[in-house]
Amino acid sequence: MGRNETAHAPADDVSGDTEEFDPIGTLTLIGIYFTILVLSWVYIYYIEFLGRDLVVVG
Amino acid sequence: MHIHAYEKLWLAASVLLILLLLGSVTYGAVGPGVAMVSDSEQPVDATALDEDERFSEPRVEQVGENEYAAYVVAFQFGFQPDPIVIPEDSTVTFYVTSRDVIHGFEVAGTNANTMVVPGEVSEITVETDEPTEYGLICNEYCGAGHHVMEGKVNVVSQAEYENQTSGGDGE
Ligand SMILES: [Cu+2]
Repeated sequence: MGRNETAHAPADDVSGDTEEFDPIGTLTLIGIYFTILVLSWVYIYYIEFLGRDLVVVG
Repeated sequence: MHIHAYEKLWLAASVLLILLLLGSVTYGAVGPGVAMVSDSEQPVDATALDEDERFSEPRVEQVGENEYAAYVVAFQFGFQPDPIVIPEDSTVTFYVTSRDVIHGFEVAGTNANTMVVPGEVSEITVETDEPTEYGLICNEYCGAGHHVMEGKVNVVSQAEYENQTSGGDGE
């Protein structure tokens, strides 16, 4: 699974920490998406939704 | 199995996101007490609302210390009573039903929002703060006059509310 992108790794690679495949761009992009997602969720739920008047409590 | 370090990172991040989601919904229910529109109300006869104890004369009445019940009837094309006058800093439960078709009951710009189904009673409880005036709109297409179907929810001071209820026209 995880190794189908590691084209250069030998089939019996058990070296663990030595990562040849290092998609730092993808990581950064996902990091940015993640931050946007978390910030929007906090804004939409805690500020917009809970901050409005007449919260339905029953 | 070998899992790439980055992959572990975003697996962890997605689990975190799920926990954040569940956590905030739980917080909402436990902290501010966010609840759903109640389904515990018994059905009513939509064609005989004028014989119904609660809806024959739509009104707001006090049901406890600082607790009020608002019985509201939606119809083509409006809401009764209009305006719905409720006191500040109180707990108000709206019981809304329709005498004709499906309507919506949305206090504009707030979280008070429910569908209104003939034969059913939608029950939502809210807490009011300071005196203010809210618009009330129907958000379910209900016929040719849907776009003019509106009402008002006026939150007034306790004194003004008392004035209004004791002061006469006994609506
Ligand atoms: Cu409508």
